[in-house]
Amino acid sequence: MNERHAPDILPAQEELLSRLLDHIRSQSDTVLTLRADPSSSEEEHFRIMLAQTEVERVKFIVRSYLRTRLYKIEKYARYILTNPGVSSRISESETAHARRFARLTDQHFFSSVLQSLPDTQQTLDDNPPFVPPIVTEPDKSRPVFVHAIQNCPPVRLPDGTALEMTKGHISLTPFSIVEQLIARGEAELV
Amino acid sequence: MALPVSIRASVTPLELELIASETLVDIVPLISMEKTAFISGAYGPLRPPVKSRIPLWMATNLKLKKKCHIVPPDWLNIEFLQERLTHETSYPAFSDLPFRFAEIAKVILDVASDDLQNPDKIRSLLKDLREARQAKSREGLQKLDHSELSLPNLCSMEINEIRPFFIQAMSVLTKLVREPTAGP
Repeated sequence: MNERHAPDILPAQEELLSRLLDHIRSQSDTVLTLRADPSSSEEEHFRIMLAQTEVERVKFIVRSYLRTRLYKIEKYARYILTNPGVSSRISESETAHARRFARLTDQHFFSSVLQSLPDTQQTLDDNPPFVPPIVTEPDKSRPVFVHAIQNCPPVRLPDGTALEMTKGHISLTPFSIVEQLIARGEAELV
Repeated sequence: MALPVSIRASVTPLELELIASETLVDIVPLISMEKTAFISGAYGPLRPPVKSRIPLWMATNLKLKKKCHIVPPDWLNIEFLQERLTHETSYPAFSDLPFRFAEIAKVILDVASDDLQNPDKIRSLLKDLREARQAKSREGLQKLDHSELSLPNLCSMEINEIRPFFIQAMSVLTKLVREPTAGP
């Protein structure tokens, strides 16, 4: 759920994801084999149904996790690809997607507008003063609701004071402040 | 594209309900079931009339098929809620309630109101509680500044309710604070 609330893209949980997918696969296989078995009792049917319900629930969560990542990748495709630190956070297939997506949008911009502009203005990554950059970057100062899972070391707030969160503390604060805590799993976004 | 506009800024109450349904509740089963392995762990065996602990979604499922009675959690009864409500109205701070109480209470009231004593009274108490807390969270907006706002004991449903507005407000404040130093 962290992924949904964070403005920036978080490291991919590939191991967790593949474990979950394995579980889904084995559970659905069991369901299918049991289904095919005509001698199963009514009670077994019942368990099959419960197992299936759970598989669907987990699938839904996995799907919304992936969709959220996909949305962020498409939105920040160029930013992710130009920053090696950020591009190491996404999995291989996600990188491939980001690269293709960035190329497509580049081509589109070029053929529709950029090619008819003077040479000096044809790139997307120039940085004229007083104008926001063209490449979209995640807004790390966006506030988030953070919930401390355990006692956290104090973090520095923008106004200079320190915030020390004890277990169970909930607070609303800019994302950049708690980024480290989230990465270490000491706090979660809610 | 990948994510509909409506759910980009926040999560929907239904999604919260889905997450809250992982909470474990006590039930009194009316059927027996062997111990079964699920993705989130193994539950069972169910042996009527021995109480067992299973996730809320499973309990809901069994309840809708009239195969169990849900034992309401110890905070979902009139005395406890009444006490919380008095606490809520007499002190400025939020009172201590389970983090996902709103969702769990809703699910249980929806599917298993016959397992509760006096569900209508509980419903109205929950509603009063919600209104009292809502008024407080609106007041909290006055204390909002650009760096931090502590919200002890706020629940997931309430956070979700105030999220879009509070985030917007805080972003504006952040911009206002940053501008004088970073400006030309």
